[in-house]
Amino acid sequence: MNDPTSIRPPRPFRLRAVLPDLCLLAAMPLLVYSVHRVFIDTPNEQTMGTAFKIFFFHVPMGWLCMLMALVAGVAAGVQLRRRSRLAGCVALAAAEVGFVTGLGVLLTGPIWGRATWGTPWTGDARQVTTALLWLVIVAYLLLRHYGPRTSDRLAAALAIFGAVNVPIIYYAVKLWKTLHPSTGVVGSLPPEMWATFWPGLGALILCSLGLFGLRVRQLVIAEELDAAWVQLDERSQST
Amino acid sequence: MRLLRQAALLLRSELRQELRDFELVLTAGFFTVVLLAMFYLSFASLQQRAHLGAIPGLMWLTIAFVGVLTLTRVFDREREADTLRALLAAPVDRLAIYVAKAAMTLAVLMICCAVLVPGLWLIFPAGAAFAAAPGSTALLALLGCAGYVAIGTLFAAGLATGAGKNTLLFVILYPLTTPVLMYALVTTRALLDGDPALPSYLGQMAALDVILFAAACLLFETVLVGAAGPRRSSSSARRARPSGQVPRDMSREPAP
Repeated sequence: MNDPTSIRPPRPFRLRAVLPDLCLLAAMPLLVYSVHRVFIDTPNEQTMGTAFKIFFFHVPMGWLCMLMALVAGVAAGVQLRRRSRLAGCVALAAAEVGFVTGLGVLLTGPIWGRATWGTPWTGDARQVTTALLWLVIVAYLLLRHYGPRTSDRLAAALAIFGAVNVPIIYYAVKLWKTLHPSTGVVGSLPPEMWATFWPGLGALILCSLGLFGLRVRQLVIAEELDAAWVQLDERSQST
Repeated sequence: MRLLRQAALLLRSELRQELRDFELVLTAGFFTVVLLAMFYLSFASLQQRAHLGAIPGLMWLTIAFVGVLTLTRVFDREREADTLRALLAAPVDRLAIYVAKAAMTLAVLMICCAVLVPGLWLIFPAGAAFAAAPGSTALLALLGCAGYVAIGTLFAAGLATGAGKNTLLFVILYPLTTPVLMYALVTTRALLDGDPALPSYLGQMAALDVILFAAACLLFETVLVGAAGPRRSSSSARRARPSGQVPRDMSREPAP
């Protein structure tokens, strides 16, 4: 990586190199199957009716957003501790996927809330903490893209604070009085809904992992290119 | 003890600098008065019941705005004279720099609170509850400002070591300090309502402050100077690379 001539394109037939593409390929049919199951095969919930179907997308996206925030926080910690470029790329990619899934949660949640509670936003603890996590992710991305030269370290600290928010979101429904369904709602699903939930979760996990892997690869290549440019620049200045 | 002594020395230097021109106190104090005037013009005509709901929000919004102004100025002074680099190079515990800066910012914010709280009481009659419980009010202001300063100083210091882009402090600070400000807001509402659970709220705020200070102390040195020696970042490459140009060496085959 120190010598620009040593940068080589990723080898296309290594499993690690094609894993993100495989994830995305596997996600496509699973997503179609999952949508079919949600809207055609699964009966409506007795009290919430059709609105409950949003649950099959809302919950997996919520879990993925929290997972990606945790990954970003841990990678940022490694980046700070070991000055690892790869960890910096992983943190940024995780934050970008977390941004998309978080946006999905914040859009689907109010639609579901409006249909079941009569209001899109009750301001309860889980809604507020999720919105805050998403804002921290946005701040992290803004800092990584537009920050000054030393902002990588600062952004890493921000990602760590974002990861600390994750357990607070998870336990928010237990700690405070809230209208939001509790953490055990998935376990209490009837068998036919249970059978619909897992394919959807699997499809979204595969899709997120695929995008995450692709983005990490892209960022690592960009970092290597940047390092090559720095070396070329230094070499040209010294000669 | 050594850390505290160094922090006290740095704080004394900060205070001496402030006593020369009162720059921080005057700008932050004036900004607080301007905000109070704007709140008066906007909300004084509301019913008294609405005042009870508005006062906590106005109080902590003011702290959030004044806090960013103060944090920016505290570190801008160092940047203008390039003394932060000298401080980092000096044989001083880096944590002492954090403690001194945080204490200075906290002192300025507490002075602003001394203007803000009586001001809110004067503008909105519902704010009389502040006067009825001065001890709780002072503790609430101290705990709320301390939590805000704990995070704010860390990120303001981090931005101060870079070139420019101090405006990003707003982007970072508001999402991160919202939990502290929300807690302060709920506690202020409890104070105004005469809620018997107020001591419990204050205790929770104190615990949150301890956690935030501990996290900021752990991260301060790493954020400011990094874990090891300097390395050139991707932004160095962006400066080195003319846009749209591809290095010729990249097209070469890798060496065997």
